[in-house]
Amino acid sequence: MPYNVHFGIYVDVAMPVEDKFKSLLPFLSSPKLLPNESEAGFQSGLQSLLSELANPSPLAVALVSQLNECLWWIKRHTVDKELLLHEAMARLLSKAGSNWMASGNSKLSVALEHYLEGSAHKDEAALIEQTLTGANLTLSDLRVRAFKDAARHIKMVDDLIHRQHQTMRHLQRSIDSIDYKSRLLKRMDLELAALESKQSAKGVLSLDDKPS
Amino acid sequence: MTINHRRSPTNRCNALKSTGPRSVAGKRASSQNSRKHGLNSAPDFESSSECRALIDLIAEEGLSAFACADIATGLLNYRRVMDAYYDTYSSPEPIDEFLRDANVKASNPIFSELLSPSGSEPQDVRDMAAFFASMQRQERRKGGPVSRRSADNHKLIRYQRNAIARLSRAVRQD
Repeated sequence: MPYNVHFGIYVDVAMPVEDKFKSLLPFLSSPKLLPNESEAGFQSGLQSLLSELANPSPLAVALVSQLNECLWWIKRHTVDKELLLHEAMARLLSKAGSNWMASGNSKLSVALEHYLEGSAHKDEAALIEQTLTGANLTLSDLRVRAFKDAARHIKMVDDLIHRQHQTMRHLQRSIDSIDYKSRLLKRMDLELAALESKQSAKGVLSLDDKPS
Repeated sequence: MTINHRRSPTNRCNALKSTGPRSVAGKRASSQNSRKHGLNSAPDFESSSECRALIDLIAEEGLSAFACADIATGLLNYRRVMDAYYDTYSSPEPIDEFLRDANVKASNPIFSELLSPSGSEPQDVRDMAAFFASMQRQERRKGGPVSRRSADNHKLIRYQRNAIARLSRAVRQD
């Protein structure tokens, strides 16, 4: 009887463990990506983490895929910090140019974004330089002011990044714990087998020692 | 439906005089107004098919049945939080561009024109302009889409902390 798991993935309880493992993987590592993100990048990160697993049990794989997602979130939030600065710069620039009307504001934001990326057209670059000159500012001055303006939101993003680091620590400890448990079980099995073989050897010896 | 931007401030002022929903259906609908992510509800993971499938997979680790159930519910709960985190991130609160970019001072004649048929005093016009300006300040304080989604995701930190602690405890309990 197939079980309907999240995101349309089906797991059959009676299937062999390798197949279950494959079915579970997309369910837990389900890459919920944004339109501009590459799935190949996400999957290559996951594969490199999985390759470091000594004992890739289903639970360990599930936890590693969560770890990979945390790394992805850290990347996203790091980009957001720069975007927050750009947002604040555009806001300050439009205020400085006393251009706080709908069309001017969005036009200025787009122009600034292109200018910072280095892909601005001549007229966009001219608009930015004209506004900066009008406000008696340089780009670095604007950046400093924007940092001050956006400090509250940048602190929030720092908190989000910190949270992902904490989550990764929890996941890492959990993975270590599973690994330790499985190694402990293996070691106990080996010790038991050694004891049994010793015991059986003793038994053979004691049978041999018996006087006939 | 088209939005009449000139009527928008008047509608907002009138909405302030509202005493809330009166019908049972209206009250039921408005009780869900503040519900955004649904993470405060307690879902029944254990009876779900996903949980049973996960328990069967985790059981192969050689853990006890109780530990398997705890880990499976912990994992599903963590996924639920992270899915809500993604949804919040990918769909931030929309920006009211009209409100953000409007010139309040220049709108005073529009306010008096809108209020004059009801015989309003100049004080009413000033109140309306002040109310509109405060709403505009609030809207501007929220910032752009990146600021909004950061602030919204920040509210989910405590859910993420609790979910990962629960999962980690379940894995390491034996």
